[in-house]
Amino acid sequence: MLLPDYYEFCCRVKIVAGHDALEKIPDLLIERGAKKPLIITDKGVAGAGLIDIVTRALRDRVFADLIADNVPPDSDLRVVNQLAGLYHDNACDAIIAVGGGSVMDTAKGVNIVVSENATDLMAFSGVGALKRPLKPLIAVPTTAGTGSEVTQVAVIKDHEKHLKMAFGSYFLLPDISVLDSRMTMTMPPFITAMTGMDAMSHAVEAYYCLQKNPLSDAHALAAVNMIYQYLPIVAKNPADQDARLSMAVGACLAGIAFSNSMVGLVHNLGHATGSVCGVPHGMCMAIMLPYGLEYNMHKREDAMAGLLLPMAGEAVYRDTPPAQRAAKVVSLIRQLNADLNTITGGRHARFFQEVRDRDGKPMVPREVLPEIARAALSDGASIYNPEDTDYDDNLMVLEAAWEGKPLDRNKVKKG
Amino acid sequence: MSIVKDIQSGRKPLKRAYVGIFLWFTGRAIQATARVDQEVKKEFDNLPDDFTFSLGCLPDGPCMVIGKEKGKVKYLGSNPGKRHVHVRLAIKSVDAAFLILSFQEGTAVATTRNRLITDGEVPYALAVIRILDIVEVYLLPKIIASLAVKRYPKGWSIGRKLGGRIGVYTRTLLGI
Repeated sequence: MLLPDYYEFCCRVKIVAGHDALEKIPDLLIERGAKKPLIITDKGVAGAGLIDIVTRALRDRVFADLIADNVPPDSDLRVVNQLAGLYHDNACDAIIAVGGGSVMDTAKGVNIVVSENATDLMAFSGVGALKRPLKPLIAVPTTAGTGSEVTQVAVIKDHEKHLKMAFGSYFLLPDISVLDSRMTMTMPPFITAMTGMDAMSHAVEAYYCLQKNPLSDAHALAAVNMIYQYLPIVAKNPADQDARLSMAVGACLAGIAFSNSMVGLVHNLGHATGSVCGVPHGMCMAIMLPYGLEYNMHKREDAMAGLLLPMAGEAVYRDTPPAQRAAKVVSLIRQLNADLNTITGGRHARFFQEVRDRDGKPMVPREVLPEIARAALSDGASIYNPEDTDYDDNLMVLEAAWEGKPLDRNKVKKG
Repeated sequence: MSIVKDIQSGRKPLKRAYVGIFLWFTGRAIQATARVDQEVKKEFDNLPDDFTFSLGCLPDGPCMVIGKEKGKVKYLGSNPGKRHVHVRLAIKSVDAAFLILSFQEGTAVATTRNRLITDGEVPYALAVIRILDIVEVYLLPKIIASLAVKRYPKGWSIGRKLGGRIGVYTRTLLGI
């Protein structure tokens, strides 16, 4: 086992999980002296009827009528300030964020503004600028993927100044995360597949990247086990409530793992592909994950081999020669992508050449790969990747991921 | 008389001196490498005209400041003055700085162990780290530089390896 000389681990989020976990929210708010929360969400979540489920769970016990559903797909500074005004005007005393990553980030931004009485959110950007606890924040994720219900970061965009502000602080961790199976039941198989693979990429990268430690490892292994087992089940049968809850817990475990050990090349190239071509984040993660494993295998083969046990079980682990276990993990992840591709009728792409927009046009033309490779040089995830990466490495991996061919590991420059 | 006695942490003069000299030399070497090596020059060319970064150790340890002035990269000593510092690389203590600067711990590993704090725009910080890696390859023998960088570069021409190293050392010693 790779035991670092020094590491840090923190997750002080209270996690409440169950098929009726939402009903616990009033007690949790009252425990914290709050009874008038501002509910922050987006139109998609509200349109799917999920806010009705939340408000039904709250009503009679706490005030649940103040709902802001205007969070855009990308967090936006103007919306943060507008929602902070709404919070003040209505004398709210807590925030409930119901949604995916953008809603969580927006809620964290609003919490900074209202807790610090900030006029300039920028003054709190970076790491460590927050010095005291914020107002109570309850996170209710509606996808089993991002893990942002247990992460200490937020990214807010200032679209007017074309700035992306990143915030990092333990005070940004939500006080409570509520994982309720009803919140993900309406997700279609295609979205379920890619958000689930996003969670899988968090767990797998957390298990082999540079900041891994025994505590993040424990969460990563448990996450890999649950996600690998339950993702095909929920993709096939979206109404399976137990499997939905298992995926929510798996994604949460993966979120705890990666927020303490960080991620590497898969996210590095995935972020760049998303920003250049607009490919959904989860889809990039699904496609890139086998390539991240292959690229780093010479440095992390033992750790990767260890993933075979939670994925395939004791019998397969025992029957696979140690030297082939890491490669077997890669083939199982490729097979998982292939199964999800079949289940979703081809909508879950296995490689970049297959990614299409709603009109059926290719979203990642081969000629943009150099641009993606260059953009990836500006993404911080590369720091935590075990092997170094440069423009040529990025392009080599992207070309393989575009064609859908396994990476030629002999071509990886080894440090 | 107070019953509470303030305990001052040791000043660790030898480690501070080592770190101070190392940063001074590295600062001059960065200025030199920016004139000798095309890759480093290109990295700086892609940064803003008034780009400034610092590398130092907390809370009040030695520090070096590098800045661009009229297109040229300059070692600016230990104090940025009124210049806006775009990227601050801060090592948490003199002990941690000694670990990193004596190559017992690489830059990436130091980051993962929360000993090296980066403040500033991520793309700029990554460019600075790439520059520092190349400078270390010029300054150090391969066996030591391999400990400091994630991957020792392969495929450098003899001219870059030898000529570049001579150029960097000469300019660093002369401060040009």
